[in-house]
Amino acid sequence: MSEIKDKVRAFVVENFMFGKDEGLEDDTSFLENGIIDSTGILELVNFLDEEFSISVEDEELIPENLDSIKNVTSYLQKKL
Amino acid sequence: MNTKITISENHTLIHHFLEQSAGFFPDKTALIHEDVRATYAQINIQANHLANWLIMDQGIKKGDRVALIMENCLEYVVSYYGVLKTGAVISPLSSELKPDSLRPLLKELEPKVVISSPGFERLLYATDVTPFNIKAVLIKKPKLKWSSMPVEVFSWEEQIKNDEFPNADISIDESELASIIYTSGSTGKPKGVMLTHKNIISNTHSICRYLHLNDQDIQMAVLPFFYVMGKSLLNTHFAVGGTVVLNNKFAYPAYVLKQMVDEQVTGFSGVPSTYAYLLHRSPLASYRDKLGSLQYCSQAGGHMSRQIKEELRKILPEHTKIYIMYGATEASARLTCLDPDLYNDKIDSIGKPIPDVTLRVLDEKGKEVPSGQAGELVAGGPNIMQGYWKDKYATAKILDQYGYHTGDLGYQDQEGYFYLKGRKDNLLKVGGHRINPQEIEDALMETELVVENTVMGIPDELLGHKLIAVVTPKNKNCSQNQILEQCNNMLPRYKLPGEVIFVKSLPKHTSGKINRSKCLELITQ
Repeated sequence: MSEIKDKVRAFVVENFMFGKDEGLEDDTSFLENGIIDSTGILELVNFLDEEFSISVEDEELIPENLDSIKNVTSYLQKKL
Repeated sequence: MNTKITISENHTLIHHFLEQSAGFFPDKTALIHEDVRATYAQINIQANHLANWLIMDQGIKKGDRVALIMENCLEYVVSYYGVLKTGAVISPLSSELKPDSLRPLLKELEPKVVISSPGFERLLYATDVTPFNIKAVLIKKPKLKWSSMPVEVFSWEEQIKNDEFPNADISIDESELASIIYTSGSTGKPKGVMLTHKNIISNTHSICRYLHLNDQDIQMAVLPFFYVMGKSLLNTHFAVGGTVVLNNKFAYPAYVLKQMVDEQVTGFSGVPSTYAYLLHRSPLASYRDKLGSLQYCSQAGGHMSRQIKEELRKILPEHTKIYIMYGATEASARLTCLDPDLYNDKIDSIGKPIPDVTLRVLDEKGKEVPSGQAGELVAGGPNIMQGYWKDKYATAKILDQYGYHTGDLGYQDQEGYFYLKGRKDNLLKVGGHRINPQEIEDALMETELVVENTVMGIPDELLGHKLIAVVTPKNKNCSQNQILEQCNNMLPRYKLPGEVIFVKSLPKHTSGKINRSKCLELITQ
C-alpha cells in the first residue's frame, strides 16, 4: 500500500506542484487547494491507467476516488 | 400542484433581485452548496450586515470599488449583493490570478476593500497588498499573520451576523456603475468592463423572458461567478426566486450528475468544453433516464461544433431543450439565443437577438451587408457596457456610433438567424490564403476521432503562418495521419494543419474556455 501511495504522491508532486510537496497531506483535496484542475484530473487518470494497468470508468470520476492521495490510494486498492 | 410564479420586472437595481425574492419567498432555499442550504431571508440579512459594515466601519461610499476574490460559495453571493447595496462597485476577480497578474488589476481598480475566502488568503498575502491603499481585507477564518502588513484584516464570522437587519437605504440611480468585470481576452492585458445597474437588470430580464424562468427553476451552476455567464445564472434565478445549486467540482462530472439528480435540477449551463467533457468523460448516457427534472441545457461562451451539438441531442433526455446562445462580457452577458424548437433545423445558428438587443452585420465601413454575406457582428441595447475602466483608447476601438463591435465575424440567413464565422483577430494568412481556424476546428470535430481541439497559427517564414492543431483524441491509438486523412476529404489542401499535436486535455480557463496562450506554449515547447 505504501508503495502505491508513494507512486501517486510522487506523480502529483512532480506534475502539479513543481516538485515541491509543501502542504500536501494525504487528505488534502486536490481541487479545493488548486493543486489539480479538470485537465489535471484527466492526466492523473491517464497515469493510473498506465502505471497500474487499470481502467478508470466514467462513473468512477468522483472526488471519493480521486481527490486526495488517500482517496486515490484506497481506490487503487479496491481496483487492483 | 405548485403554482409557478414569475416575478414582475420591477427591479431597478441589481440587489433588488435578492431583496424582492427575500420579501416574496423568505424561507425558500435560494442557494445550495455542499452542506450549506441558505434561504433568501438568510442571504439578505447577511448581505445587509455586510453593507452596514462596509458603510459604517470602512467608510465605503458610492462609486468606491470593492474587489472579490473567491470561489462560488454562499459568502460570494452575500458579498456580491451586499456590496451593491452600498452603492459601491463590485469587481469580481478571476480565481486563476497569480500575484503577478493580480497586482496590475489592484493598481488599476484601487479597491478600498477586498473580500476573499480561505482558498485565496495565500494569494493575497503573497501579492503584498501594501502599495495599493487597500483599507481592509475581509476573509472567512483568516489563518496567516497579517500583523506585519499595513492593512486591517477582518474575520467574516465576526463581522457578518445572522440576526435580523433591515435593507440599506442608499439612494442609487440605475445609471450608476455597479460592476467592473475583467475579461480574460485572448491577447493583451485584461480589460475592466464597466456595467451599470441598468445594463445588468435589462439583460437579466431579457434572459428570464426567453428561458421562461420562474420560481420553480433549480439551476446547477458549475461556471464561476466571476465569469459573466456564471453571474447571469445567479442573477436570473434570484430575480425569479429560483434556486441555485453550486458545484465547484465539475472536474468530477459523475459527482455533478449525481447532484443534479438528487436536487432535481431543472437547468444546466455550460461552455463548449463543458459539453465535450460531459459527452466523453462522464456517465451522462447512463443518467439519461434519471434526469427527469432537467428541462433545459444552455450553451454560450463561444462556438460549439455541430458534432458536439448532434451528440448532445442524442444523449440528453428527449424532454430536455437545448438553448444555443451567444454573448459577451461587454453585453452584460447575452446577445442572442436560438429557439430550442429550431435546434435541428438551424443547428449551426446562434439564433436571433434576445429582447431589447439589436444585432447587425456590418462591413469595414459600417454599412450593413446583405444576408448571406459575412461581416462583423455589431450590437446595441441597454445591456451594452459603458466602456473599459481607465482605458479610453480600447473603449473607442469597440464602442462607436454603430454600437458595440464584438470582434466576431458572422452572417445572417434570409430568415434573420445569425451564424458565427470566428474571431476577427484570429484570421490567419497561410501562403496567401486568409484562413479562419474555426472552419478547420469544425472539420476536425467532424472526423469523430476528436474530443476537442484548437487550431492556431505560428509564424512561418515561407507561408506567413503554419497551421497547428492541438487535439485531444477520443482513442489513444488514433494517429495524426488518420485524422489528417479524414480532414483531407473535407478541406482544401492549404487548410490542412501542418502538424497535429496530441494532448490529454486542452488547457482551459476556470470558465471552461480554451486557454489559447497556454495552447501556444504547448506548441512552441
